[in-house]
Amino acid sequence: MASDEHDRRRFLHGLVGAALATAGCGSSCGGARAGRDDVRLSTVVTKTEAVRAKPGKPRVVVVRNKKVLVHDYDADAGAVRAMVDAGLVALSGEKDTIAALSRYFSGDTRVGFKINGLAGRNAATHVELVDVLSAMLTKVGIEGRRQVAFDRFTRDLTASGFVDRSRAGGYRIVGNDDAGHEDDLVQMPSSASRLSRVLTSQVDAVLNLPVLKQHMLAGMTGALKNNFGCIHNPNKMHIDNCDPYVAEVNAVPAIRDKQRLVIMDALRPVVHNGPSYQPGMGEVANALLFATDLVAVDTVGLEILEGLRRKRDLPPLAQVDLAPTYLTTAGKLGLGVSDRAGIEVVEIEV
Amino acid sequence: MISRRDFFISCGGAGCALAAGGATGVLLLPRSALANTTPRAFPARFWKKLPQKAVECGLCPKHCKVEDRERGFCGVRENRDGEYFSLVWGQPCAMHVDPIEKKPLFHFLPGTRAFSIATAGCNLECKCCQNWDISQSKPEDVDFQFMPPDEVVRMAKDYDACVTFTYSEPIVFLEYCIDTATAARKAGVRSTMVTGGSGEALPMKEALKFLDAVKVDLKGFTEDYYRRMCKGKLQPVLDTIEVIRKSGVWLELVHLCVPGQNDSEPEIRTMCRWVKQHLGADVPLHFTRFHPEYQMKNVAPTPNETLVRCREIGMAEGLHFVYTGNVPGLAGEDTFCPHCNKSVVARRGFELLGLHIKNGHCEYCGTAIPGIWS
Repeated sequence: MASDEHDRRRFLHGLVGAALATAGCGSSCGGARAGRDDVRLSTVVTKTEAVRAKPGKPRVVVVRNKKVLVHDYDADAGAVRAMVDAGLVALSGEKDTIAALSRYFSGDTRVGFKINGLAGRNAATHVELVDVLSAMLTKVGIEGRRQVAFDRFTRDLTASGFVDRSRAGGYRIVGNDDAGHEDDLVQMPSSASRLSRVLTSQVDAVLNLPVLKQHMLAGMTGALKNNFGCIHNPNKMHIDNCDPYVAEVNAVPAIRDKQRLVIMDALRPVVHNGPSYQPGMGEVANALLFATDLVAVDTVGLEILEGLRRKRDLPPLAQVDLAPTYLTTAGKLGLGVSDRAGIEVVEIEV
Repeated sequence: MISRRDFFISCGGAGCALAAGGATGVLLLPRSALANTTPRAFPARFWKKLPQKAVECGLCPKHCKVEDRERGFCGVRENRDGEYFSLVWGQPCAMHVDPIEKKPLFHFLPGTRAFSIATAGCNLECKCCQNWDISQSKPEDVDFQFMPPDEVVRMAKDYDACVTFTYSEPIVFLEYCIDTATAARKAGVRSTMVTGGSGEALPMKEALKFLDAVKVDLKGFTEDYYRRMCKGKLQPVLDTIEVIRKSGVWLELVHLCVPGQNDSEPEIRTMCRWVKQHLGADVPLHFTRFHPEYQMKNVAPTPNETLVRCREIGMAEGLHFVYTGNVPGLAGEDTFCPHCNKSVVARRGFELLGLHIKNGHCEYCGTAIPGIWS
């Protein structure tokens, strides 16, 4: 648990990877790839390896795999596994995936996969990603019975393709509608909420697995907004581009302190008319984003989203009054780094 | 195992007994026994389709644009594959028998009972909400019973009560209100509504056809207050109030005085002037005491002096019926004849102490007292 405590403290201070010490190519490996200028972000490495962190900057690792999607939506589990291996190693600086995961989750931890399932199978967190992570966590010593995938409604989980794997020793699935919410209110400056009992009673640490999507009310949805699925009343917080509500929810200690790791599913982001699934609005990006800083990963995700929108001649979100201003608010609250210049981005192609 | 009907009958009997014994409110809904937690979906009214399976709700000024599988701000209306559904029609989560004075409706059948029902959900989020546990919840978050309109009317009749839609926000369960009020009118039972008034004119007019009285919470008199404290807007509420007044349905207003937020002398005076100018001097206006709740537990209750001062401002501005509330015994609970100034309805808290109105007129001087008295 000591390492978890350490990670949490670092997360809270918006710092990443101060202890990373393994060798790597750093920015020297940088370079544009033909035809991908809309999504090129920063440092690029060409194979799975650790990279020295830039002091004081949170790191976001973007891992791409052109072969990850099969049949338009479904993901190839092997390809996902390779991406997760590469992403975790690059993020943590550890020598392998198990060592990397152990930085964030110890054997006695109960882990909650906070997925985004509201749009159903076509625009939800990929089941294959959760399956891969679940197997990896088992190798860390976290048995399936200590793992749960959760979201607002059980029906959303099932509509997204999730099934209870506990009989086979795997993870459970639970909707907040079945688990319920705490009776007591958590007070925030602009609102108040009851917390999901899955969050408060069934998990010690959250592995935040958002889907990168444009959102017609919030601007975009990513890691920060995914935590709206930890409260009973997100419907009350979709005014004013969800600002400051997204930031304030993420500042609630019971939510903030359980965030260990984010893996953003950007295999096929929804670029317009989200967050629901709209035929033709998914744009293949083949990417997973790894971070411990929720604000930083959303900031990088936004950049990717805007790039994909440009490809379709869609206007910048700010131009249609949909700038996700909650990112700046979250930065001001000390939840992470929203200034793009203050984020180290590492790109990996596997 | 008892049937639902038997359950309600047994509840009804107990409730009647308690009500006859002077109880001010009888909770009829159990937390568990026969409660449901999976709401049924009924086709909603007052909405339109948008491209790509989205819908736009037309119940309230928020006009939520709701995508497939999503809900609007109120949390009780859901888009399912491009069709819009109410998840609270016929599914009340609270049922009480209250004195009508508790609403408060002071000029509507004093001393009678109100069979009061509510569902989950609200289209506002007031920081001082007294019923936040149901108003700020989704249907799945509360226990509820399936209770179709005819059943509500039957129970109201059993209690010799009117039906009152209250506690949370009836606008978000307006289809249920309309259907129940329609059934009630057919059965000779009156219907009343307690609302924040943040609704659209068309559905509200539809409901007013079957309502006998409405109490509107005029929560503040600045847009800033509504935005900051309620996540709403003032102007639509004022519009609704005028629609109700013009409809001829009996109207009363309540202003909950939240210390330091909406109780300044200029705001109260401006509000009273608006009431007189747009609604007339005969619309009752209640200034009620705030009690620390929900997101405002750190604010002290309204001092009595504030309520008295607000009432004095209202009277000075020429309003005929201005009351204080939520402070039993405080001056300002009685109805005074605007002509002879004698107490024609004496009250203490929710209790009726004396009624001196005959055929709608002051028993002492014969002046007509506006309201519904029989």
